[in-house]
Amino acid sequence: MDRRAFVKRSCLGGVALFVDHWGTSPAYSQDLIPPAPPIHVNELEGRSVSPLRMPGLYPGRVVEISDQRSIVANRVSQSIVRQMIELGMRELTGEKDPRVAWSKFIQPQDTVGIKINPSGAPACCSSPEIVREIIAGVRSAGVPARNIFVYDRYAYEVDIASYQALMPIGVRVTGVQEHKLDVAGYDPNVFCEANFFGEWETRSYMARIVSSGLSKIINVPTMKDHSAAGVTGCLKNLGYGTFNNVDRSHRRPFSFTDPLIGIMCSVEPLRSKAVLHIMDGTRMVWHGGPLTQNREFIFPAGLIMMGTDPVAMDTIELEKIEAKRSKEGVPSVWSRDPSSLTNDGDEFFQDASKNLFYRQPHHIAAAGKLGLGISDRKQIEVQAFRIA
Amino acid sequence: MAQEWPTLLGDNARSGGQAPQPWRAPGRARWQINVEGAVRGSPVLDSDLLYVPSLAGFLNAINIRSGRLQWRYKAPAAIPSTPSISSGRVLFGCSDGKVIAIDAFTGSKSWETTAEDEVWTSPVVRNNTVFFGSADGAMYAVQLETGTLKWKETLGGRIYSTAHVAEQHVYFGCGDGNIYALDALTGHLVWKTATGNGIDCSPALAHDTLLIGSQDFFFYALDVDSGAIRWKYETELGITSAPAISGDLVIFGCKAGTLHALDIRTGKVIWKTQTGQPITAPPVVSGSVIWLQAEITFALNVPDGKVIWRAGMGNSLHSAPVVTNQAVYLAGMEGAVYALE
Repeated sequence: MDRRAFVKRSCLGGVALFVDHWGTSPAYSQDLIPPAPPIHVNELEGRSVSPLRMPGLYPGRVVEISDQRSIVANRVSQSIVRQMIELGMRELTGEKDPRVAWSKFIQPQDTVGIKINPSGAPACCSSPEIVREIIAGVRSAGVPARNIFVYDRYAYEVDIASYQALMPIGVRVTGVQEHKLDVAGYDPNVFCEANFFGEWETRSYMARIVSSGLSKIINVPTMKDHSAAGVTGCLKNLGYGTFNNVDRSHRRPFSFTDPLIGIMCSVEPLRSKAVLHIMDGTRMVWHGGPLTQNREFIFPAGLIMMGTDPVAMDTIELEKIEAKRSKEGVPSVWSRDPSSLTNDGDEFFQDASKNLFYRQPHHIAAAGKLGLGISDRKQIEVQAFRIA
Repeated sequence: MAQEWPTLLGDNARSGGQAPQPWRAPGRARWQINVEGAVRGSPVLDSDLLYVPSLAGFLNAINIRSGRLQWRYKAPAAIPSTPSISSGRVLFGCSDGKVIAIDAFTGSKSWETTAEDEVWTSPVVRNNTVFFGSADGAMYAVQLETGTLKWKETLGGRIYSTAHVAEQHVYFGCGDGNIYALDALTGHLVWKTATGNGIDCSPALAHDTLLIGSQDFFFYALDVDSGAIRWKYETELGITSAPAISGDLVIFGCKAGTLHALDIRTGKVIWKTQTGQPITAPPVVSGSVIWLQAEITFALNVPDGKVIWRAGMGNSLHSAPVVTNQAVYLAGMEGAVYALE
């Protein structure tokens, strides 16, 4: 469906969008799940959109590099992920010189944000080793270290993973909020507004570092099952990692991560700034995501995926997590079996057949319908390379 | 009764600073106060004032008898570092690279000096010199009286490890994965020992053994004179938690949530206790009891590691409590400070 078919614009203070949820996700009509309410999006006026905006330079393309040596004894190998990222950048762009490949996305005058995913730290988060290689790539494109920000919303999760100590000198490592109620780092002029469950605060604000601080974003999600969204990959790391007050989109057993994740990713300037996605699949969480610390459900997959189309990448991620869950003999993330639900968080973290919500992997296709990328598997080209 | 807890973990030996005393479980909160901003560093105590740094940029001086704020000093940036107290001054690092010394009684500024990047480490005072590391990759030594630079030694990675300063040498870990020993008078390199990943753990010294954890999942015991590895011990995940010393035991947490107690001489495990929460804060030993903040607050037996008390307060990742004969003082991530008795 064309974005214009289900997005309405209003003129209530800046640019606003009303998204008809039924248009984004026809699969809902088959569920006993209430439809999402309209979502009002307030963007900044007068912003130009970037030609690199999602789905970016390579819609529908996913480069997948695997190397089992990339994670040994739960430690990520710096030298192996260096080779993997270098190969991936060359294959994605068709450039022989990695420096030229990085320059397709990043210019020397850019202020670059590297959006990590520390939720789930310390057991599974964006590997510092991969982030270090991305920093080296960005620096090879001429960006000084001081203009590179490694960031996430939650400072305390960044702390747990020790990113501060592990990044190169000069790079800035920052969290948007110091604790759960800290709102100082958010832009009051850019928000998504919806009342999902009668919550008191119905707005989710965009992080200021995204709305006005950075010029480019490299998204570094992890490869995880997600109890509410089905999976968390490029889209969720970017959308829910940029706006605050997002937990309210799911209340057991229902989840409105579809359509909220895709809508958040479509909001400018986030959509224009997110130019490259490098998914850390060295570890794959196949149950208990995003926060599990249970190593029984964390598989050393030894993968890195790269692309500019977050929808295509998440579609492939979903396929891999589904395959792993099937192999482990646990229900699909598409399951609508009420008997698989539990209200007991401890049970959920110990039993892979249980879940807290009806998961919404629909959110990926819904994002595709918003123009963020390609979700039709037949139209996605996966270039897979196995090094070892 | 005068009470002192002037540095991270009570003293430079990371011993908790307390003589053996009978265990008494806290029965109530004598007071609670909320300071402005999150608290990442640990409180320190001198006489009747508890100094609590906050990420809103305040150093709060709280009267421990009343539980009221006596004064607060506004720094130009967040204060992530644990303060230290020396010669009537409170010293602390800021996220803008400043290290500030203020009068411990009035809260007026004595001096400030500036590194090129944030200072999360706790300033350490020895022989009228203040030592601190910065994210700019340098270890600094400045004069205690004036803040004037004595020396600066630039290394290969960011420094988030609070130094252990002995009479002649300064020991610390670095984001480049090395453990360094520098000459305390000149800053010149004495030795360095490589680990497999960056280090944000602060070392402790027990006799002639330097003890420190790394993000490579190993805990190291080094010969303090040469840096040679005497033994190393593998944990499940990285180690940020600074070790505490209790007799022949070294006690530290790892991010997998396990508190480990090892024999300092051999590295042999004496006990392990799983807390269920990632541990990044240092444990504090007070007599026969270990205090630990790992989201919730625990008290454990030193001899066997058994949990003898726990409470859902503090909500802290990095902060360590101050333990005195009269009370335990805790600060939490969301700015709550408690006095338990």
